[in-house]
Amino acid sequence: MSDINHMWVDVAFFGAVADAAGSREIVVEVPDTSTVTDVLSRLSPQLQKYRGKKLLHAVNEEYVDENAPLHDGDKLAVFAPVSGG
Amino acid sequence: MDFAEITTDSIDLAVVARRVIPPDCGATVTLDGYARKYTEDKKTGSTRETEFLVYEAYETMAIREMEKLIGNAKEQFPISHVGIVHRIGKLEIGETSVVISVAAPHRKAAFTACEWLIRELKRTVPIWKKEVYSNGEMWAEGEDEKNGQASPALRV
Repeated sequence: MSDINHMWVDVAFFGAVADAAGSREIVVEVPDTSTVTDVLSRLSPQLQKYRGKKLLHAVNEEYVDENAPLHDGDKLAVFAPVSGG
Repeated sequence: MDFAEITTDSIDLAVVARRVIPPDCGATVTLDGYARKYTEDKKTGSTRETEFLVYEAYETMAIREMEKLIGNAKEQFPISHVGIVHRIGKLEIGETSVVISVAAPHRKAAFTACEWLIRELKRTVPIWKKEVYSNGEMWAEGEDEKNGQASPALRV
């Protein structure tokens, strides 16, 4: 019998999502089979109001969809549609 | 030379435009994007009066995305060099938020590429704008791709 293996993922928030989350960066411990969606579902209740709204995700500075797998030490960024210019 | 930069300092338009000029070019098109005071709310038809703006970026990713846009533009259009500088932090009304300079042998490609670059920048580069009013503030939520108008902002 073995325990589920875990990993650590850095999660960064920006803009409106950072305001809603009440923080800019957190570290979460999740099972090592987790996807972006799995991590998002563990996030704070304030952030749940964004579920179903359009959110963008990047892993290690590259856009990914929410089914993307994560690896130990990855940096996941979560943010609303961009509005620069 | 090509360049993609983020700065908290005010941007000197002419300096950015001059940096892209190579000897094989005949025209540089430069976009000066700046903070607008009045924004129409499409839902209510009312006009919001902005006091100042605050831009935030995921800086390292934003630079990577801008560099990708430059590479992509140079593959698509007969242009020679591109410079993009985006400012972040607090901006007063009328201050330049973004400069895109495109140098090309002939002007037509430079105009087309510059329009493509600002459209894609507003869609893909991780930078966000917060509009601050006398009675509150609001994060802009990106552009409606169909008509190029800002979509309803997120109230915070």
